[in-house]
Amino acid sequence: MLQHAGQPARCLVRPGDKVQEGMLIGKAEGASSANVHSSIPGIVTRVSEVPGADGIASVAALIEFGGEFDRTGKPSAATEWEKLPRAELLGRIRSCGVVGLGGGLLPTHLKLAPGAERRTVFLVANGIECEPSLHADVSLMREKSRQVVAGMRICQRILEATRMVLAISESSREELEPLFREASGKDELEIVALSGRYPQGHEDLVRKAILSRDSLSNGGAAGGGAGTCIILNVATLYAVFEAVVMQRPLIERYVTVTGSAVRRPGVLKVRIGTRLGDLFEECGGLMEPPGKVVVGGPMRGISVASLDFPVTKGVAGVMAFTRAEARPGFALPCIRCGACVEACPWELVPTRLNKLVERGDVTTALAEGLSSCTECGCCAYACPSRIPLVDTLRRGKRLGAVGDHG
Amino acid sequence: MADSTPLTVSPAPHVGGLISSARLNWSLALSLLPASAWGVFLFGFPALQVLAVAAATALVADAAASLAWGRAVLRDGSAAVTGLLIGMLMPPAVPLYVPAAASAFGIIVVKQSFGGLGRNWMNPALGGVVFALFSWADAATRWLPARGTPAGTAAAPLAALRSALAGGAQPTGGVLSALGARGYPWSSLDGRVVSWVNVHVLSAVGLSLPGGVFDLLVGNIPGRIGDVSVPLLMLGAAFLLARRVIRWQVPVAYLASFLVAAQVFGGLPMGRGWFAGAALFQLFCGSVVLGAFFMATDPVTSPLTRGGRVAYGICLGLLTFLLRYFGTPGFGVPLAILLGNCISPLLDKIARPRAASPRKAVVQ
Amino acid sequence: MLVGLCPAAAVTGRVIDALWMSLGMAFVLILTSLSRVILHLLLDAPGSAGSGSRESGLLGSRWLGVLFLAACFTASFEVIMGAFAPQESAALGIYVPLLAVNCIVLERLADGSPRRAIQENGARIFRALGAAASRGAAFAVALVLISVVRETLGSGTITLFPLGAFGGTIVVSGISAAPARALLFAGGGFLCLGYLAGLVRLAGRLRNRRPRAAGEAGAQ
Repeated sequence: MLQHAGQPARCLVRPGDKVQEGMLIGKAEGASSANVHSSIPGIVTRVSEVPGADGIASVAALIEFGGEFDRTGKPSAATEWEKLPRAELLGRIRSCGVVGLGGGLLPTHLKLAPGAERRTVFLVANGIECEPSLHADVSLMREKSRQVVAGMRICQRILEATRMVLAISESSREELEPLFREASGKDELEIVALSGRYPQGHEDLVRKAILSRDSLSNGGAAGGGAGTCIILNVATLYAVFEAVVMQRPLIERYVTVTGSAVRRPGVLKVRIGTRLGDLFEECGGLMEPPGKVVVGGPMRGISVASLDFPVTKGVAGVMAFTRAEARPGFALPCIRCGACVEACPWELVPTRLNKLVERGDVTTALAEGLSSCTECGCCAYACPSRIPLVDTLRRGKRLGAVGDHG
Repeated sequence: MADSTPLTVSPAPHVGGLISSARLNWSLALSLLPASAWGVFLFGFPALQVLAVAAATALVADAAASLAWGRAVLRDGSAAVTGLLIGMLMPPAVPLYVPAAASAFGIIVVKQSFGGLGRNWMNPALGGVVFALFSWADAATRWLPARGTPAGTAAAPLAALRSALAGGAQPTGGVLSALGARGYPWSSLDGRVVSWVNVHVLSAVGLSLPGGVFDLLVGNIPGRIGDVSVPLLMLGAAFLLARRVIRWQVPVAYLASFLVAAQVFGGLPMGRGWFAGAALFQLFCGSVVLGAFFMATDPVTSPLTRGGRVAYGICLGLLTFLLRYFGTPGFGVPLAILLGNCISPLLDKIARPRAASPRKAVVQ
Repeated sequence: MLVGLCPAAAVTGRVIDALWMSLGMAFVLILTSLSRVILHLLLDAPGSAGSGSRESGLLGSRWLGVLFLAACFTASFEVIMGAFAPQESAALGIYVPLLAVNCIVLERLADGSPRRAIQENGARIFRALGAAASRGAAFAVALVLISVVRETLGSGTITLFPLGAFGGTIVVSGISAAPARALLFAGGGFLCLGYLAGLVRLAGRLRNRRPRAAGEAGAQ
């Protein structure tokens, strides 16, 4: 019931209940919450606390497949969304349980909700993969270009955005020809190609790049200052389209399945709730017993201890590494080479923060910028001594947060 | 299927860059080989012995000390590099207990006693060398003659220059002509090449090179085993820079400030006024190039930040110049780098990058 | 405790210098300690024997008095040493007068130790004597150890005082041809001091590992 940032939804079903595809089984509860729907028809066999891949347990309904699909494979009616009032658009997004699929998992209706006074609003679609090796977003843009662009225009209407920007990575330019064709002719949609170098896909860096480009090209926009920048992942935009136009709740998503141990890596369209192990089987199976299985991407993903976890709304990729690739456990002492300093996109000094946290001095670490750390993993990637910097910094941030709130 | 085999669970990131500590050190060792090979070629078997003893002692000492202190034994190649550097900083005819003591001191005292890898506050190779050469002061000048020069006349060019100046020489021409006038033994090959160039190439332009230019350029001079051949050292350094093992800030800042200081102020002790120093001569003599590229860039003892590195390089350049003129002969570079090591944490503090301000919430 | 060993760096170049230095230290320590206790017994009101650590009104700055005493004893030692061992006296130079300061430091530290219950005067004196003597002995051992290492490795000799036919200097054959003179620098002295302290710590740690009787304090 907790597949989003915020409070878990309240489970509406009990064991023995019959559910249909797309039926509401969890009602949003709390200031930041989202609905949860059943992705397959069947019977609820068990409702219990289940740990997610990130280790956080929440109530889940185990559904045994049975019965017919109501909507999959059947023609569905598309509504003309341009005629609907904004409130209705938002309502459909909310009731379909759409959340930010780029990793933040913030319920989308909250992100799009009208806020206080607005200046120039940039609506940015983030088409840059958040992690290397992931490809689901680019595949989605290529195959469902029309829907993604439509989703973007829906959001623009809701936000009354004055500018629409689609950020893509330079390296995927060729592959996205269909998208360009779809978007051309609609003058409002600008396409900006940024360097695809990790972690460019991170929201803050995309925002920084877009806003700085804008101020450069406009020479300081009239109206003063940077505009508000709302960034949505392209998968979220697709889900928005599905919710508003096709009235389909969020019950499936594109997932990248890759890794050196996978026979046929690729991008799958996956129903929420599918077992991780089944994804690998669908991709030709694993060529050898894996050394490590990671949910997410190679830089920020979470390594899991078994393949029995469900795919939730936040799972963008699954990777299986061979044993040879699973990193060795030992770390050498820091040789103060400065590689982490050069790698950090936020200009922190990870080795010093690491030392401070290890010593227990979280206060000084926070003063030196620990809270700016986004755990992107660049520092640990660059470290020749294989020091687990991200782990320590994350620990420090948690300790700091606890301290702040008493 | 896969559930029966245990999976590794560890924190992100799950991939690593190709650079590892071991690779860094192997690259360093590789880049030092051309210059050491030249030293052996020039000075013969004694040089090889010195290098071997220094490296072997370093490895043994490191292994023993790591065992005694309970640390990982010889995981990365840093002891081998330290030993090789120590060997390269020795005059070729030293008795073998000198490099052995230098390696032992450098590894056991400077490196391991202060905390092992990554914790030394002083460059271990230099610490060992300074200890050994100060302990056995006569060993510091056990030069061997270069090829093609008469035996028994070896003196390093810098030392010869000093004694020339001390003897009250008033050089009218350049430094090299001053040395030549005092009878400094350049090799016969040098004599032939320089005169050929003078006759066939430069006479058209009206210039003439003094004897000794060829010897200096190629590295056919008495000196320490590893620092005589500047071109080969530069080759190794280029290799390291290309592989991003070392960064350019420290060596460039070091050499630039040193050359500028040497050119501007170098003429003063010789009574020749400002801007009349022999910067290139200073560059090719002694351990400046070796120090700038291979020892000042030691990651543990040099600053982390870019700004800090540049400041460090500049300090080192100026210190080296001062110590060359006013300090113990032959120890300009080692002592300057050791002094720089002492202030490098301070330079880091001054030049730390501003951390980004804490992120504000994205959703308004 | 290490603070008191600072002069070790300078005076341990030769064993004989170290020996004389520790002799001086012991001399001044014992006499100063003794005098302090006697004065305290004479001048403090009977019955207030437990108040030794407070500055009392009569000897307002008690430590000024102790410093004066220490200085007197040091000066006397200086004269004695100058008479019996002029060469060593010259070698030790300024460090002999500085003994006074050293002793103050050690005395100060001594006063920090926990006091036992009120004891009778005789026991007091013995305790003070014992403490001073043991401190002097510890100082001597440390200095001599350091100086043996330094002199052997640094000059290849061991210099003791002449005794009958013995000339006074032992020449260590292997090293004396080419000793490691860097050890004779001040840095070398501190290095030896540091390693000695480290060895003592190590010994203490090893000793603590063995099962001990309850109540025994660990070695420092």
